[in-house]
Amino acid sequence: MANRAVPQRPNGQTPGKICQFKLVLLGESSVGKSSLVLRFVKGQFHEYQESTIGAAFLTQTIHLNDVAVKFEIWDTAGQERYHSLAPMYYRGAQAAIVVYDITNQDTFERAKNWVKELQRQATPGIVIALAGNKLDLNTMRSVQTDESQTYAYENGLMFMETSAKTSANVTEIFKAIAEKLPKNENTNTAGQGRRLVDSAEGSNKSLSSCCK
Amino acid sequence: MTSKFSKYDEYGFVRADDFDYVEYEQFMSVYLTVLSKRSMRWARIMTSNPQLKKTARLKQFVRKGIPLSLRAQVWTSISGVQKMKDKDGPNLYKQMLNKPINEDIKNIISVDVPRTYPDNIYFYPTSENHAALFRILYAFAAQNPNIGYCQGLNYIVGLLLLITKNEETCFWLLRVLVENKLPDYYSKTMDGVIVDIEVFSRLVKKKFPDVSQHMTNLDMPWALVITKWFICLFAEVLPIETTLRVWDCLFYEGSKVIFRAGLMLVKHYRNELLACEDIASLAECFKSIVQQPFSLNCHVFIKEMFKNIGSLPMALIDDLRRQVSAERNADKSTYKNRKG
Repeated sequence: MANRAVPQRPNGQTPGKICQFKLVLLGESSVGKSSLVLRFVKGQFHEYQESTIGAAFLTQTIHLNDVAVKFEIWDTAGQERYHSLAPMYYRGAQAAIVVYDITNQDTFERAKNWVKELQRQATPGIVIALAGNKLDLNTMRSVQTDESQTYAYENGLMFMETSAKTSANVTEIFKAIAEKLPKNENTNTAGQGRRLVDSAEGSNKSLSSCCK
Repeated sequence: MTSKFSKYDEYGFVRADDFDYVEYEQFMSVYLTVLSKRSMRWARIMTSNPQLKKTARLKQFVRKGIPLSLRAQVWTSISGVQKMKDKDGPNLYKQMLNKPINEDIKNIISVDVPRTYPDNIYFYPTSENHAALFRILYAFAAQNPNIGYCQGLNYIVGLLLLITKNEETCFWLLRVLVENKLPDYYSKTMDGVIVDIEVFSRLVKKKFPDVSQHMTNLDMPWALVITKWFICLFAEVLPIETTLRVWDCLFYEGSKVIFRAGLMLVKHYRNELLACEDIASLAECFKSIVQQPFSLNCHVFIKEMFKNIGSLPMALIDDLRRQVSAERNADKSTYKNRKG
């Protein structure tokens, strides 16, 4: 708890709006999906993080000015064969973090496939962030930052390189997603003015906010 | 907290920070007596039925729990390992260790071994258990190229190793589970487990329609909560002693036991599940019920799961499996036709 990266609302302050969003993590096995979540939610890191079977659920709330953004996080199994279960996991997600390992080019290719699948099949307008994890292993890097940056830009994704181990950019990536998600009520009917994704393609109509 | 129980359980697993020592002490004070009684009875049945031929009496004995010291031997006898050995020859394990396997499969096994039960004192880098775990998964992949390796098998083998302390026995028990007891859970498409998750949801709909409706209302697919139950056969889900008691029955009676255990959880924690008002609290609830006192009290859990779920014949499960598979195939071909 001492390491909790996200400051909590000080006592006595009246709570403002609470927005709840479903966020799913996808990516090849052992790229660090669960480690990113563990760092974000509990401020911890385990050198040997148990492999996730099926899906694991956690929540974390971060505060942006007057809005509390509560993430319902679905962390998923990465092995290729679990792919057939994935649509059930990302169904209805408003945000996704697609993770790859910067020391492993194959995991980057796999991440691209996830992005394609999400853009084709997930909630239209889903906010997608690409995370190049294991930044602490920068000396062993095989995926260049420029390459990912360009790919992310062309595909309308947010992009950060992260390290669950050192905590570099972990809170930041969740915070950036939180900022991007629509927090105005009745987005479906009135929220057309707000741009949800950088991507020019795809309809944003179906992405509703969950604010109370 | 004063307790005669250590930070680690007898299988080497570290107990959670919020482990309820008081509740556990109460349970163990009763269960230890049960265990010693069962031990004496098992000693007698091992004399009267040394081949462990399947009888109604043996089935009852298995349901009441196999003593830890006999588990490896009894699991091997009741599950049909001998038949497999007769067919494939006793040297199969060594042969498979020398057979080359796909590099990708080998790599993913290597990555998963050190992250199998990292908090267990018997599994640490350079431990003999790590090396054995790798070899068993390797030999299994060599024997079953169509399956290779599926994440989750590491937890099953890890637990088998802790109980049997013999890697070759583990290899055969793993084979018997995957090849004979469970339908196609771990294959490259995982069809069997996807079907069984749907079968489970239909069984819940039939037996506990209010819970089923509640899941639908909160838009919670069963797959989100129970995939791990089925894949890991409750290892890493239920408390260890309860998992082992479920496995006792699984080796004897087959996969319907997994459904029973799952249905028991739904039944016992029905009110808690129904009280959840959104998907997040429901997900939290599913996470917590598997560690609550009822789930911990393995003896009562198993007894209730055979007494209070109602009839669950294998024929019904097989029917549902066929039905769900047919529907899935129909969906697939519609999808294909639409695409084409």
